[in-house]
Amino acid sequence: MAEKKIYRRLRPPRHLYPLSLIICLIPLIMPILSGCSSTKNKGHEKRQYTIRLKWLFNASTLGEIWAKENGIFKAYGFNVQLKEGGAEQDALTEIELGRADFGVASADQIFRAVSKGAHIVVLAQVFQKNPLQWIYIRERTAIKNPVDLKGKTIGITFGGNDEAIFRAIMGEFGLTEKDLTLYAVHYDYAPFWRGEVDLWPVYRNTQGVFLSERIRQQGETPGFFDPYDLGVAFVANSLVTSKDMANRHKKVIEAFTRAVLEGWREALLPENIDKAVALLKKYAPATPKDILRRQIKETMQMVIPKDERPIGTIDIRSWKKTLHIMKAQGLIKGKVDLKDLFPLSPP
Amino acid sequence: MSAVERLTQFIFIFFSFLALLFSAKYALHISDYVIPSPRELFLELPLVLRPYLAATINTFLVSVAGHLFSTILAVCVAMMASLKSWAGRLAKTASYNLQAYPVVAVSPIIFLFFGDGLASRIIIAGLICYFPMLLSFIGIFSMPVPEVEHFFAITGRLTRPLSIKIRTFENLEKVITVVVGSGTMAMVGTIVAEFLAATNGIGYAIRKALYQSNLSRILIALFFIGLVSSLYLAALEEAGKWLKRRYIGA
Repeated sequence: MAEKKIYRRLRPPRHLYPLSLIICLIPLIMPILSGCSSTKNKGHEKRQYTIRLKWLFNASTLGEIWAKENGIFKAYGFNVQLKEGGAEQDALTEIELGRADFGVASADQIFRAVSKGAHIVVLAQVFQKNPLQWIYIRERTAIKNPVDLKGKTIGITFGGNDEAIFRAIMGEFGLTEKDLTLYAVHYDYAPFWRGEVDLWPVYRNTQGVFLSERIRQQGETPGFFDPYDLGVAFVANSLVTSKDMANRHKKVIEAFTRAVLEGWREALLPENIDKAVALLKKYAPATPKDILRRQIKETMQMVIPKDERPIGTIDIRSWKKTLHIMKAQGLIKGKVDLKDLFPLSPP
Repeated sequence: MSAVERLTQFIFIFFSFLALLFSAKYALHISDYVIPSPRELFLELPLVLRPYLAATINTFLVSVAGHLFSTILAVCVAMMASLKSWAGRLAKTASYNLQAYPVVAVSPIIFLFFGDGLASRIIIAGLICYFPMLLSFIGIFSMPVPEVEHFFAITGRLTRPLSIKIRTFENLEKVITVVVGSGTMAMVGTIVAEFLAATNGIGYAIRKALYQSNLSRILIALFFIGLVSSLYLAALEEAGKWLKRRYIGA
């Protein structure tokens, strides 16, 4: 009896139970809360600006790296921290939670976010052409036009933007899943090498380079199936920030955009290629220099517009096409108004 | 703990977590892209209810197979490792070394040999949950029970299989606890395998939802995973109680 009394005294009162539960659950949402204090009101020369890139440091992030390492950001009065992206590092989420001021994201990510109420604006379209293409071995697979896809096995990242792009191609050329086989791809290229998959999705300027090198080493010829050539323009890497930043600090976003685009312009000048390779090697030490050189050359084809337009130009037709593809496939349900999306280059 | 009690507790914790998440969302004005609204969850639920439920059951069945595989593996390795011979020491070292590698790093080799189908999922699930069992089994199989074994030893009837049986029986409660406890890890292991390289199961569904930044689908998937895991653990606990009642009358 006495023991029971003592136990009862030691036991916390019942009304504290919900509180203890909340305390237990707080660590689960702390990561969200932790990022929600931003330093938006400080002068832009003094504070550090963070840019969350779309992927790991590679040729697709060369412009930002160049701008940082060659003092372009500094010349514009910015102290910039570059952060690598990745599958679990979404620049748009980081911007909304105040952990990043700027970011690089693809149009499908941007449309998804905006359609769900995220206040995001696009400052520049870094890639004029989407680097996502399908690699194949010419000796095994012959593709001259989309009809040749019939009977082939096509690698797809289900849920990824390559699925949206490929389904758009299928829709455009009247292909159905009965005409071809869609194969779920993962990180492992083995099914492609074994010949189980005819076309494998790659980023032309990164994986595309080393895979084509390996194909050549096997004595075969690589080929690329490019959706852009078929009129399926799906916008890739673009510079973004929050609507709040765009409204309240217009000069800052203008200067930052100019700095990033200047970084890209300088990095992709043919006379700067050796410097660009050396610089990228610092950030991606595991990649051989000759591969980096070819990756940079491929990136030039994606970033530099074919006509006289400057780097970073927003190609509104491609944005409309991307939006159309996503709506047609039911990938976005909410409203997206393109007029509100581009504060620096109105469509 | 009964199945109903376990389920009630899980549902209470899950919905408390959701309430906290939604409170954070509205207090901090976070968009539906980062944290979905309750309305979005309700709209998504009918769309994914059947496929996600089927995927979770699929994952559950694989994890039961993985759990069984890991239990057999742990028993076999522990029997070898409890030997004092060179082979026993080698088995012990090999199993400890294997555990030192993250499954994510080992998985490409598994996928290379077994493809991205059922076998790889079972093996990865097994690898993730077998180590705690292995440690316990090594401990149990290596620890003699002198008061029982002595009798068989002096009559010359103590064989290796018999001593293993005696030690297992004498530590039945410990064995049941560790097998039940590793059940959740089998589910986690299967989901990890599906996330890495499968085309089935709830782990694969989460991966697809992650590509589309669709947190509402991920939350629904988490609910199903929790629900099925709770039921599985409750079932294992009941099985453990039955075993104890049958063999040691506890």
